[in-house]
Parts: sequence; C-alpha cells; structure tokens
Amino acid sequence: MAKKEIKAALIYSFATKKTSTAAKLIKDNLKELTLKEIDAESINANDLEAFDLLIVGAATWFDGELPTFWDEQIPALEDINLKGKRVALFGIGNQVDYPEHFGDSIGLLADVFTSTGAAIIGPTSTEGYTFEDSKSVKNNQFVGLMLDFENQHNLNESRIKSWCNQIKKEV
Amino acid sequence: MAYIRRNDKSFGIKQTPKETLEKWYYLMALGRTLDERAPNYLKQAIGWSYHAPYAGHDGIQLAIGQIFEKNIDHLFPYYRDMLTAISAGMTGEEIILNGISKATDPSSGGRHMSNHFAKPEWNVHNVSSCTGNHTQQASGVGRAFKRYNHKGVVISSQGESSVSEGYVYEAINGASNEELPVIFVFQDNGYGISVPKKDQTANRKAANNFLGFKNLQVFHCNGKDVFDSMNTMSEAKKWVIENQKPAIVHASCVRIHSHSNSDRHELYRDKGELEYVQAADPLAKYRRMLVNYGRFTEDELNAIDEKVKQEVKAAHKAALAAPDPDPKSIYDFLFPDAYAAGKFGNGVHTETGTPVKLIEALNTTLKEEFRSNPDTFIWGQDMANKDKGGIFNVSKGLQQEFGPERVFNGPIAEDYILGTANGMSRYSDKLRLVVEGAEFADYFWPAMEQFVDSAHDYWRSNGKFSPNITIRLASGGYIGGGLYHSQNIESALASIPGVRIVYPSFADDAAGLLRTSIRSKGITVFMEPKALYNSPKAATVVPDGFEVPFGKARIRRQGTDLSIITYGNTTHMSIDAAERLEKEFGYKVEVVDIRSLVPLDKETIIASVKKTSKALIVHEDKVFAGFGGELAAIVAEEAFTYLDGPVMRVGATNTPVGFNRILEAAILPNEQKIFDAALSLIKY
Ligand SMILES: Cc1cc2nc3c(=O)[nH]c(=O)nc-3n(C[C@H](O)[C@H](O)[C@H](O)COP(=O)(O)O)c2cc1C
Ligand SMILES: Cc1ncc(C[n+]2csc(CCOP(=O)(O)OP(=O)(O)O)c2C)c(N)n1
Ligand SMILES: [Mg+2]
Repeated sequence: MAKKEIKAALIYSFATKKTSTAAKLIKDNLKELTLKEIDAESINANDLEAFDLLIVGAATWFDGELPTFWDEQIPALEDINLKGKRVALFGIGNQVDYPEHFGDSIGLLADVFTSTGAAIIGPTSTEGYTFEDSKSVKNNQFVGLMLDFENQHNLNESRIKSWCNQIKKEV
Repeated sequence: MAYIRRNDKSFGIKQTPKETLEKWYYLMALGRTLDERAPNYLKQAIGWSYHAPYAGHDGIQLAIGQIFEKNIDHLFPYYRDMLTAISAGMTGEEIILNGISKATDPSSGGRHMSNHFAKPEWNVHNVSSCTGNHTQQASGVGRAFKRYNHKGVVISSQGESSVSEGYVYEAINGASNEELPVIFVFQDNGYGISVPKKDQTANRKAANNFLGFKNLQVFHCNGKDVFDSMNTMSEAKKWVIENQKPAIVHASCVRIHSHSNSDRHELYRDKGELEYVQAADPLAKYRRMLVNYGRFTEDELNAIDEKVKQEVKAAHKAALAAPDPDPKSIYDFLFPDAYAAGKFGNGVHTETGTPVKLIEALNTTLKEEFRSNPDTFIWGQDMANKDKGGIFNVSKGLQQEFGPERVFNGPIAEDYILGTANGMSRYSDKLRLVVEGAEFADYFWPAMEQFVDSAHDYWRSNGKFSPNITIRLASGGYIGGGLYHSQNIESALASIPGVRIVYPSFADDAAGLLRTSIRSKGITVFMEPKALYNSPKAATVVPDGFEVPFGKARIRRQGTDLSIITYGNTTHMSIDAAERLEKEFGYKVEVVDIRSLVPLDKETIIASVKKTSKALIVHEDKVFAGFGGELAAIVAEEAFTYLDGPVMRVGATNTPVGFNRILEAAILPNEQKIFDAALSLIKY
C-alpha cells in the first residue's frame, strides 16, 4: 500500500506521560504511515472527518472514566460523520489497582466512534491480563490495544509491535 | 446495552436550553464562591470552624438540588452538601448564617455544627453529624410516603466511606425489603478524611456491594460532570417513582481540597494527585464546555461571576449583622409539648372494681389509642404474626384490628426500628409512632446511635422538628433471664438530654402513662417491668380513659418515719418491706413511686423527705452510677436541712445479672435487702 493513499492521524494528549510514551512507540512502529499528530486536549472534531484512519489513545481515569479533556469532546465527536473511516484505539490502564474498570476508556471511545459510523479496527486478546471487568471487552476481546504501564511495563514494546503489524495488515 | 448518544439524552451541552445552563452556572459559581470564602471566616475568627469544601462534587450536588422539589420530596443532605443546599433553593445569606452560627440560621439557629445546611420547612432536613445515619431516617420517610400514598421521592446523600457503617446497610436492606421510594446518593471522592476507600470495602464502588439486594436499582454517574449527573439523577428519580422501589446513585467525584479545615491533605496526598484532582475541577470543565460549544461567551460568564461576587458581598454583610443566639435560650426546645393529661389531676384515682393485669392495661390502652387516632403505627421484632403480638404478647390482637399497614414486624435491626420512626415523624407531625425498641430492653444498645441522634433533634433544629415516638422496652429481671434479658438501662438513657423516661409499676399508671406518651410530641421511653406483666401485685382497677401526666410521682403508701423513693419492680418490694416494718416494729414508711424519671417530680420527693427526714433510694438497677445517684444527690442538695440521717441506696450489685437463679438473687435487690436497709436507716 502506497504511503500517500491513507490519511492517518495519531490523537492523544500531549500532556500525558504514559499515553505519550505509548504514542511515540506506536509512531515508531508505523513508519509506513504518515501520521499527523493531534493533541487530544485541543481537537476540533470536524477536522477529523478529513482522515481515513484515526489512531486514538486514552488512559482510564477515576474508576472507569475518560480523562476530563476527552470527556468534554464527546458531544462534538458524536456529531461528526466518519462513515467508511477506521478508528484504532490504544488504552492505558492499571489492572491491579482498578480490576473492576480495567482500561475502560477505549471501550467508551469505541462506542462514540461507532456511533459516528466509523469501523473500529485492531482488537486484541485479553490473554495475559488479569482483571474482573472492563468496558473495553467486546466479543471477548479488547476493542484495541491495552497497555498497563504500572504492572506489565516490560510487555509494552512487544504488544505495541504486534498491534501495529495488525493495523498495517488491516488497512 | 446499546450506546445512547450524549446528544440524545435529556440534558447535554448541545440540547439544554440556554436559560437552564445559565441558572446552573449561576448556582455553581455562587456555591464555589462561598466554598472558597468559607475558610476566611475562621481565619478572621468569625466562625465557620467546620467547613468541608465540596469542590470536586459540583455535578452531582447541582443535580441533587435540581431534582428536589420543595414540599413534595424530602432531602437529607450531608455536611459537604453546600451546593446541594444552594441548588435546592437556599440563598447565599442562609448558607453564611449557618456557617457563622447566627440565631437566624435556618438550619438550627446556631445550635448545630456549621456546614450542616438545612431548611426543615421545605423538608431539607437537619441531619446528624453521625455520618450516614440519616439513611435510616430517609427509609422512614419513604415508609410514610407509602402509607399515605404520597408521590414524591426521598433523597439521602452521603460520602462513599460512611457507607461502611452498619446502619447504612440496615437502611438499604429495609428500603429494599419494604420497597421504599428512596434514592441513596453516594458521593465518592475516594477518601474518608485521610483513609483511602480501599480500606473501607473490597469493591472500588461501594454501591456495587448492594447489587444482590432485591428491588434495588444501582446507577453510576460522573459526579464531576453536570450533564451526566443531571441525567442520572433524573433517571433515578423517574425509576424510583414509577417502580416505588429504592435506588442508589454512585457518583464519582474528586475532593479538590482537604477534608475540612482541620485536615491537611498534603500529609497524605502527593503533588501529582493534587494536580490531577485540580485538573478535574467540574466547574472549570463546565465553564470550558459552555464557551467551547459556543453556548456562552467569556463576557457573558464573566458578567455572571461579577453578579455572584456582588451578591455574596451583600449576603456577607447581612449575615454579619444578624443576631447571635441568646445564651438564655439554651433550654428552649429541649422537649416539645407533652399532651396535657389533666383529666385525672396528677394521675391518681380512687376508683374501685375488678383489677386488670399490667399487660392487659397496656394492650387495652394501645387499642384505644389506635382506635381514636388513625395516624398511629406500631412495629418491632415479633410484633405481629397470627396470635403472637409482641415478644411478650403486649400488642396481641392489634394487627388483626388495625391491619398490617399500621401494625407490623420489623427486621432484627433495632437501630432501623428506631431510625425509621424518626424518619416517619418527618413526614408529618400528626403521626404518633410506637416502637418495641427491642425485644428486651438490654437489646436496645444497637439502637443507641439513633436514640442519641433523635434525642437531639428538637433542640438541634431549634424547635422545627420533633420525632414523636413512644419507645416501649420490656425491662428488668426477676425472670431468671441472665445477661441481655434482665438488666436495666434507664440510667444510661437518662444521661441523654431530650427524652422523657417513664417506668410504671402498676397497671393503672402503665395505662395512664402510655396514653400520655402516645398523645405527646417528643420521645418517651416507656419502660415496662416485664416481671410484673402478669403479676397480681401490679394488677389494679384502671378507670376509663385514665391519664397520668409526666413528672408526677405517686405516693403509694403514706408514712412519717422514712421515705422510700423508688420505681419499677422495687416499688412492690418496697411496699412489702414497709408493711412488714409497720407490722413488726410499728414504723410508718412512706413509699414514693416516682413513675417518671425524666421529667422528675422533685417537689413530691422533697415534700416526703421533709415529712420523714429519712430517705432511702431503691431501684433494681445497679447502685453504682444508677439513677438513684441522681435522686440521692437531689435529696442531699435540696433537702439537706431536713435530713436526720444519710441518704442511703439499695439496688443491684455492680456486676452483670447472672443467669442461675442463685446468682440472680444475690445480685438483684429484694424485699429483705430493702427491709434491712430501711430498718438501719430508721434507727440511725
Ligand atoms: C484516580 C485514578 C483513577 C484511575 N482509574 C483507573 C481505572 O478505572 N481503570 C484503569 O485501568 N486504570 C485506572 N487508573 C490508572 C491509570 O490509567 C494509569 O495510571 C495510567 O498509566 C495513567 O496514564 P496517563 O498518565 O497517561 O494518564 C487510574 C489512575 C488514577 C490516578
Ligand atoms: C459515626 C461517625 N464516625 C466518624 C465520624 C468522623 N468523620 C467525619 S467525616 C468522616 C469521613 C467520611 O467520609 P465519606 O463518607 O467518604 O464522606 P466525605 O467526607 O469524603 O465526603 C469521618 C470519619 C463521624 N462524623 N461520624
Ligand atoms: Mg469520601
């Protein structure tokens, strides 16, 4: 697939530590794509319609919530049209301290993006994680990539690498 | 569950009308200005020494106040609920009046702690500091709603950590079992003062502990988000009213500041945490959204901020000028009006005829009162199942005559039994509630927190609310019952101001005092000497409609050589001892049955001692720290010059009451012990 064919964006909060770290690794693993980086804290929802692929990252906060800046964007995101577009999600959570809401954020975002007509790509297996419940598990798998910096830091690189390969295949 | 778009919900940044958004912003800005200014009053030594800032709970508190309808719904806010109170309609001035404890503070006239916001006139209740115990009272109001077919909802609000209290579980169990229209809101800020919520309960969200409770719907919301909170509270209210069943709303909040002004959160929260809770500020988020979604301009919002600033300035000025409470008022509103029992003077009679047993006198009086007043209710453990009516059958036949809506069993939860009586009282002051507070008086201890709290209510609300409850307790020993079945608890109860305590020893007095209790406002502890229920000694003629006023002793035997001042089981032993003293020695011993411990008939006691110059105090309870200590002190202080000997006391040993009859006899007073003490005092 030629590089110029796909307009892709990588969206995450530039102010975060762990989410930003993950975003950088993802970018390194997706050199084939030209990724426009967008700060989630200052998105203009309508601008997103111009992309074919959105790679969106968010940590889970406050027992199963999106970070505040993401939460504020939802009403705007709901009203854009992403029919025919694809969204790949990467989430950050802590399965030991928050097993009841492990990585809920990308499950919440998946609902929002699905409601705009987008297709969610890049689901991953829940194998290798120990938790009780997660809004990000749909059809027995995570809706996207799930990372746990606090408890499985050493698995981040391999998880990111294989997920990126999967994304490349899917697009 | 299918995803519901935020833009399709009842409330949202795009669909909510501008006037509504503006009203909310105004309330939130007003609340926050007061929340931030409150510590200044302490710094300037004006008052408000207890302030628990609500910043971080803004969404849920706004929503609670917004869904509350004055005079239809009932609201139990907690100490952090400043915005809840403002959103429910309280003004900035009223908030400051409470904060700085002025006489015109609508919550309590400066009697209750600051940050306990209330407006009893609207059913925004003045609640205890005993955190979360108003959940039981909320269930009680819910029961009254059901009984009177009232369409409304009761909202109880508290933090997540106080959910650990057993009384909260009792309240929610009761609401689930009785299907009561109550919303229990848990405002989850992750801490109980410095204790992280993981040390309270295993589930991250305490509401999930209740998922197995039947008839109960659990809702979760983001308490930092105005729209999610409004949608969830509205949905919960609708669900509760439609289903006539309880709900829990668990609202995820942050506590931006310390627990209160006596806490320093830097001691247990790191810089990163303080930053992220600040970043989650619900007011800042709401403001950003209003601007970013083009609903308001910065200028428009700044104008509201300015208006709030001016308003708070004016409120501050007015509140500072308000009168302080008068120190002479401390005795006001300790007891609400008792029924004016005047038909039989001081509660004596000379009627003759067939004696009835004490238990029958109680049963008959209960039935008579329930016939004449349809707003009476009675419940307790073993209250009603076929032929069983009350643990000792005192209330036999009541359910058959008055039905299960008015006469019913309570769960084995003494605190809930009393707490719901307090709550039902809040529905209307025409209600008169009778509870068997416990099966045996000494099982009343689990109810002590509701007892103490209820005792404060009338005083604490500056006369705006009184629980109108008769607490019946089968008391005392001489039945071989041992621990928890034989002891007396009246001395402990008498140490708590705000409750009346009566302890009759004859059938007529029992009937007369029960009638007065049930007709009175306020709380009366009605002690029943269970050993006398069927005793021929306690049986008397009971005149029709007999009434005994509170605070009137009855001289059961006249005498000149010694006064025995007593009540309950030992009245009979004292009379028997007096008879023997007269028969064997010719001494004339007066026996004064005080009948009522609180209020106490000091005049009759002092007059008797004046006549005899000797006072022997007798009761069944322990001598050490028993109520007799108070009686002895009163006699010593107020009748000293008439005394011809020391004030002496007879009562139980300072031990628990043993089960084996041999032990029981060694521990409790009896006729012989009274006889011996009386004789030695007469001879002194
Ligand atoms: C207050 C708080 C609440 C959290 N709640 C959750 C949660 O519900 N589920 C989860 O998986 N992780 C939760 N986490 C863990 C964060 O997602 C995790 O620390 C992540 O690494 C933060 O990433 P960031 O620094 O990029 O925002 C929570 C962390 C905090 C501090
Ligand atoms: C029965 C009782 N025990 C202890 C206290 C002292 N106390 C006051 S507030 C508080 C913490 C309550 O935490 P939570 O219920 O989470 O409410 P929050 O203050 O966090 O809003 C405690 C322990 C009290 N008021 N009542
Ligand atoms: Mg708390």
